Amino acid sequence: MERENFLKNFVLFFIYLILLRTFYLQILRYPYYYQLSMKNCIRTIETGIPRGIIYDRNGRILAKDIPSINLVFVPYDLKNVAKEIEILSNILNLDKSYLERKLTAKYLNPFDRVVLKRNLTSKEISLVEENSYNLPGIFVQEGIKRLYPFGKKTVHLLGYLGEISKSQLEKLKERGYKIGDVIGQDGIEKQYDEFLRGIPGGIQVEVDALGHQRKVFGKKEGQPGNEIILTIDATIQEIAAEELGDKKGCVAIMDPRNGEILALVSNPSFDPDNLLYYLEGRRGSENPFLNRVIKGQYPPGSIFKIITEIAALETGTIREYDRIECTGLIEVGDRIFHCWKEGGHGWVDINLALPFSCNIFFGTVGIKLGVSQIIDYAKKFELGKKTGIDLPGEANGYIPSPKEADPLNLSIGQGPITTTPIQLLSLIATIANGGNIWQPFIVKKIITPKGDILKEFIPNVKKTVYIDPDALDILRKGLRNVVVFGTGTRAQIQGLEIAGKTGTAQRAASELDLPTHGAFVCYAPFDNPKIAVVVFLDYGSSPQAAEIAGKILKKIFLPEKVEEENETETEIFEE
Amino acid sequence: MKQKLKYLRNSLITKDIIFLSYILIFIGLIILFSASKGVILTKEGFFIRQVIWVIIGSILVKIFKNSDYRNLDKISYFFYFLTIILLSIVLVKGEGRASRWIGLGWFYFQPSEFAKLVIILTLSSYLSKRDIKRFSVLFTSFLIVAIPFFLVFKQPNLGTAIIFILIFIGITYIAGISKKQLFIIFLITIFSSPLIWTIMEDYQRERILTFLNPMRDPLGKGYNLLQSKITIGSGGFIGKGFMKGTQTKLAFLPEYHTDFIFCVLAEEFGFLGVVIFVLIYFYFLNKIFEILYLSKDIFGKLISTGIFIMFASHFLINLGMTLGIFPIVGIPLPFVSYGGSCLIVSILSIIVLSSIEKHSVLF
Repeated sequence: MERENFLKNFVLFFIYLILLRTFYLQILRYPYYYQLSMKNCIRTIETGIPRGIIYDRNGRILAKDIPSINLVFVPYDLKNVAKEIEILSNILNLDKSYLERKLTAKYLNPFDRVVLKRNLTSKEISLVEENSYNLPGIFVQEGIKRLYPFGKKTVHLLGYLGEISKSQLEKLKERGYKIGDVIGQDGIEKQYDEFLRGIPGGIQVEVDALGHQRKVFGKKEGQPGNEIILTIDATIQEIAAEELGDKKGCVAIMDPRNGEILALVSNPSFDPDNLLYYLEGRRGSENPFLNRVIKGQYPPGSIFKIITEIAALETGTIREYDRIECTGLIEVGDRIFHCWKEGGHGWVDINLALPFSCNIFFGTVGIKLGVSQIIDYAKKFELGKKTGIDLPGEANGYIPSPKEADPLNLSIGQGPITTTPIQLLSLIATIANGGNIWQPFIVKKIITPKGDILKEFIPNVKKTVYIDPDALDILRKGLRNVVVFGTGTRAQIQGLEIAGKTGTAQRAASELDLPTHGAFVCYAPFDNPKIAVVVFLDYGSSPQAAEIAGKILKKIFLPEKVEEENETETEIFEE
Repeated sequence: MKQKLKYLRNSLITKDIIFLSYILIFIGLIILFSASKGVILTKEGFFIRQVIWVIIGSILVKIFKNSDYRNLDKISYFFYFLTIILLSIVLVKGEGRASRWIGLGWFYFQPSEFAKLVIILTLSSYLSKRDIKRFSVLFTSFLIVAIPFFLVFKQPNLGTAIIFILIFIGITYIAGISKKQLFIIFLITIFSSPLIWTIMEDYQRERILTFLNPMRDPLGKGYNLLQSKITIGSGGFIGKGFMKGTQTKLAFLPEYHTDFIFCVLAEEFGFLGVVIFVLIYFYFLNKIFEILYLSKDIFGKLISTGIFIMFASHFLINLGMTLGIFPIVGIPLPFVSYGGSCLIVSILSIIVLSSIEKHSVLF
């Protein structure tokens, strides 16, 4: 029984220790702790959550943290809220209802600092400091700001940061997120938030009655999160953004050999530095927050003829030199169906029908094929289905059921069918590489702050589609001729062979009077495709889209030539 | 009069362990009630929830009160494998984050809480029929604890993992481990810890360093520790009075209803209240000790040893961490802290003890 008694004495010893310690805290140190508890003067000050840097494929910085000054307040220390709202709205031009909501809300810990406004300018800082006597409980404090060197040009790709919302907090609470945390709200910043997000820094201090720091109990340096290297090429991204200019629409560029996204631009865009301006007001029909590349759902229009052509050739519905006469219109039942060209294209075979984008030809072929075969081919090429790109909120698009569609409209990509621009890009890339459907991706590597590779994303073939070699040859020849003499000649540039397809998306029946959308997908060089592009213009024409694509490809493949031309132009101008 | 007092004292001393644990549950409910009232933001009525758990526990007492603990001998292995599976599920589901719960519709339960009792039963069943002095037996019993230890450590739930080790040491000690074996285990621990240190990921090391020095993380554990000390210290000799604690009411301590419940007691009832509470808890622990001391059956003796270690270490570590003499690990105070899994496991343990006590008299 010796061992049992040892066990008991062991426990007894610790019980004495605990009583002694309680005696020390509650009796000997009572005055000190009582005083601390009455004044409620221990404050925790968080200095922000550092985030990792985002680089492009060549190591150019796309997003990084820089220090900033924020306006913060301690709910417990506010004295005269009405007066303080008045002063703040005057000197900082802040909305009164916003201030009231923020300042009078109930907080879990009324002694924690809450951010009122981020990124104060030096003028605002001095204004606050001049009025500090009348603003008890409100301070300026160092924090972190996210800098995007390419601003508006990369905003749909990278996303932006914002304070965590209530519903987000509900979901993320278990993963260690807290009220007031700044998190990624879209794009890469959102998709990879958990990787980018570092560990918050902060200090714990004792403050006096005026809120001034007296004693620091502990300090913790924040630790940056992981760094991310993208497949994006900043140079190409800039080219795409410049060529798209102010036009509403989007451009996405992909390497058809592996699915790496090289550029992704959507318009209208917004400035991540001036978010409030866009959030309050100018949303409406413009909707700058919509990333059209992955969320815009439009009928694919004539780009869909690629699907109809493969289906027709593979199933033997028509052969290469079978001809159909296009008189400009065709009657089906009691409906009249028009070709886009008045007067028609005359007798055409498939080698001419694709470059001229003849509706009558493809419509007639579509009727022969039947709706369900066309739908099967659309599904085979993964249209109407998320591509799986690593961005949040990708839309599905829609492939109608055989009952909903009619063959005439479906074969030329009209009617209830919708696709996203990224799906069309994936389609043209699949044609370019001969049948591999790559999963488009943007993040190449995730790297720890120390430089170790945490995750590396390798290209992923989602599916390999067998395309009959003869059919593929005919199709590619047709796509090349679209640019040489067909509807996409405005994409033609000297010294580079481009193959592509135009598309004009009609709007829903109720909006028929409104202008149509123009689209162009292409790849280059023709013999050895390295780049695939989709250009989509809201209320634009497809030749316009083709022109933009051509200019982008010229700048990518023939930068010397572009420079030369610019020089000669200026020379002429000088003369 | 004197005789009456003596009778009352005797009845209290011989009162069964279940009665004693209900005294603690009652004290716990009083403190939880105080912690839940008048607070700016309550955590969704945890007092009511705890009452429901007490009722569920009482039903369990009613059902199993007269069952024989020796039935657990064989069935313990089944529970053991079930626990391992559940702990693995938690680990896979939580993807390495601090997730300890499995959701079952409207309530959550924590397999790591149940693992403590299951380890005690399994280890006792195994050792009651074998000689610990044989090396292979010692090694197997080590494995029995090491597997769940690893799963819980990975969660990471450092506190529970520590309890597992203490249970292992306690049971093997009473089972008659030789001094030489004890010394070897000690040496292995010393030499393997640097190895474990190098295997660990950066963030795991950081966690252990914070565990040893909470001030490394002034926003998290450091904040808790400082607030905990202020809360206890400001209670003084007689305390601020029932429901009059200012620290806990203002939600300075985020975990005041679970791991830091002792602070509420210390703040409101002061040193006097703490001494009385510690005495009652000691009386309760002493009762368990009596059961283990008097048990004639080796299986029963080992079980009661394990349960004694479990309650004693929970009690000491929990109080120790709120007082700042032990690193902060998430360990509740049994019967007092809010939490269904912990309460149910505590009650089940008491039912087992009660059965052991009954049979030790019969022998």
